[in-house]
Amino acid sequence: MNRAKIMVVDDDFDLRQALSLRLRANSFDTVNVCDGYSAIAMAQKEKPHLIILDLGLPAGDGFAVLKNLQHFPALASIPVIVLTARDPAANEKRTLESGAVAFFQKPFDNEEFMSVIRASLHSRWGRELSHREQHA
Amino acid sequence: MKQGHTQGHTNVLLIEDNPGDADLVRLRLVESHSDVQVNCVPRLSDALASLDAEEPTLVLLDLDLPDSHGAETFRRIMRKAPNVPVVILSGRDDEALAIKAVQQGVQDYLFKSDLTSKQLGRALRYAVERQGLLHALEITRKQQIEFKNQFLSHVSHELRTPLTCIHQYVTILLDGLAGPLAPDQSEHLKIVLKSVNQLHAMIRDLLEATRAESGKLRVEPGCIDIGELVHQAVAMMRGTAGEKNVGLKAEAVEAIPLVYADPNRILEVLINLIDNAIKFTPPNGSVLVKASTVDTDPSTVYLSVSDSGRGIPTESLPLVFDRLYQDPNTVDGNRNGLGLGLYIAKQIVSLHGGRMWVASQPGSGSTFSFTLPLYSLAKLLTPVITCKGRLRENIVLVCVELTPVSNVLRGSWKETCQRSLDLLRLCIYVDKDLVLPPIGSSGPVKTFFVVASTDMARAGILMNRIRDQVGALPELTDSGTLQVTAEMVPMPPAAAPGILEQQVLVVADRITEIIQQDLWTRRKFADENQENAH
Repeated sequence: MNRAKIMVVDDDFDLRQALSLRLRANSFDTVNVCDGYSAIAMAQKEKPHLIILDLGLPAGDGFAVLKNLQHFPALASIPVIVLTARDPAANEKRTLESGAVAFFQKPFDNEEFMSVIRASLHSRWGRELSHREQHA
Repeated sequence: MKQGHTQGHTNVLLIEDNPGDADLVRLRLVESHSDVQVNCVPRLSDALASLDAEEPTLVLLDLDLPDSHGAETFRRIMRKAPNVPVVILSGRDDEALAIKAVQQGVQDYLFKSDLTSKQLGRALRYAVERQGLLHALEITRKQQIEFKNQFLSHVSHELRTPLTCIHQYVTILLDGLAGPLAPDQSEHLKIVLKSVNQLHAMIRDLLEATRAESGKLRVEPGCIDIGELVHQAVAMMRGTAGEKNVGLKAEAVEAIPLVYADPNRILEVLINLIDNAIKFTPPNGSVLVKASTVDTDPSTVYLSVSDSGRGIPTESLPLVFDRLYQDPNTVDGNRNGLGLGLYIAKQIVSLHGGRMWVASQPGSGSTFSFTLPLYSLAKLLTPVITCKGRLRENIVLVCVELTPVSNVLRGSWKETCQRSLDLLRLCIYVDKDLVLPPIGSSGPVKTFFVVASTDMARAGILMNRIRDQVGALPELTDSGTLQVTAEMVPMPPAAAPGILEQQVLVVADRITEIIQQDLWTRRKFADENQENAH
């Protein structure tokens, strides 16, 4: 069975570890990076199926990452879930307009978060997978 | 700011109706200040006009003028130019009034009868200096409030990061992701989790209260079905009530017209009030949430949350909406929070133009009530459904319904609905048709209504255009379905001149009726589905 690969972009080491642990426990593979520059480089290398993205990051903040992802055809369609301590009033609309599929403010509800991850993977990756299988 | 003394010279506005006195004061002024410019006016109305045009360095004021007398004179001047120092020219016989003026913010007073240039010069300089100090103090005060608000906002954001980490690792342990736990350990961690959630709620409240104080709390009012919102709030709080064995019921009159409010904010207010009510109601007690209209106040909806708790002592009633107010009688173990919830709720309601109040009988419960304005469709409709002072012949209401496929993402569905709405607005003729403000609804199905001044045949063309344009939106074809229907709006009898406004009201009422009927059918249908599912 194919396991979906999720990339976690956050500059907080402990939180990255916690997220990875929970994601792996839910049968996902994880890749962790801590800044905006590595996020793009790692996304190109690993081609994750979904990205969890913090907004406040060194070397290119979350908005820069969202913008840069759009520059690469191979990365532009990866669903991105923004997870940040920042105020939704000032940031939610902007992140969704920049291409993110969902916005979560920290601290977040685990169940809701996991269900949004599954739904995002289902709607995009699922289609891609069935497409691949049909053409295999 | 308009200021007359930028070049360093003193610009005095002298308000004096007696020409002899005016000349004398002018003379003394020129003696005391080589660079003084005097603008003399005889009436208060002239003075107010002059203050509008230019702010002087100082106002010298006689209290008895042809168009104003006594205290009213200086009050009006000070209201007009709060930053300009005022010195009163007084007679010997009205010193008491002059002293009263000084107590209310006038800088000084001088007796007209023994005015020396030295005295005048001194009074003038001191008045300007003192006013400057007051102004600086006011600026500092405002800066401090701004700093405090920024500080609180920064701190509450920064607190979220470590709190998230605690929350994550506690839930990792509780969910057994790091191995099994002994029952005791699990209980202890649940207490940690409960405290984390309380801390989270406090951070949220702190930020909201800061926003409210600095006027940054925003509401986005739309047209909402308040009955549905009440049911939703009650459904969300049923668990909390059940845990404490408190009965929770909603009583929303079916015929409540649509309300003009921000659905998310009002839901927050309702949940806050219900949560409080449950907290102060003993087991086996009950909480009732009501929405109703009253005949005496037809443009308002009344909402209330009543509990059968111990009530609020009369002396505490005026305090409950204050910031940081906490019930002093809370028993240990029932933590209070920051005491900001009701303060925030009241601010949200007043931003909607509503009022909030509480009534309580100690021993037999409390009722928190608030009002919200009803939505006035007539104002919005007038430019579209009237033409040259007459009602248009035919009006059709087009209903555009977007239904998502299951498991679509909330965020992206919201975006899809927004894009559909933007497209919908491009499908209509702006001077003849109107897309009504979105009707706030908690459910995933989104309904937009278009009022079109046209007959059924032409409405068909509009509907096809909507199906072609909105229906072709890739996000929508991916994640949902579109349904377009239309209904004729019954028109009042042919126009008699002069009662157009009333006719618009009749049409607005009929459109509102159709929309509400539609919403209620939908809600009933949803309720029945839910019941069948159980």
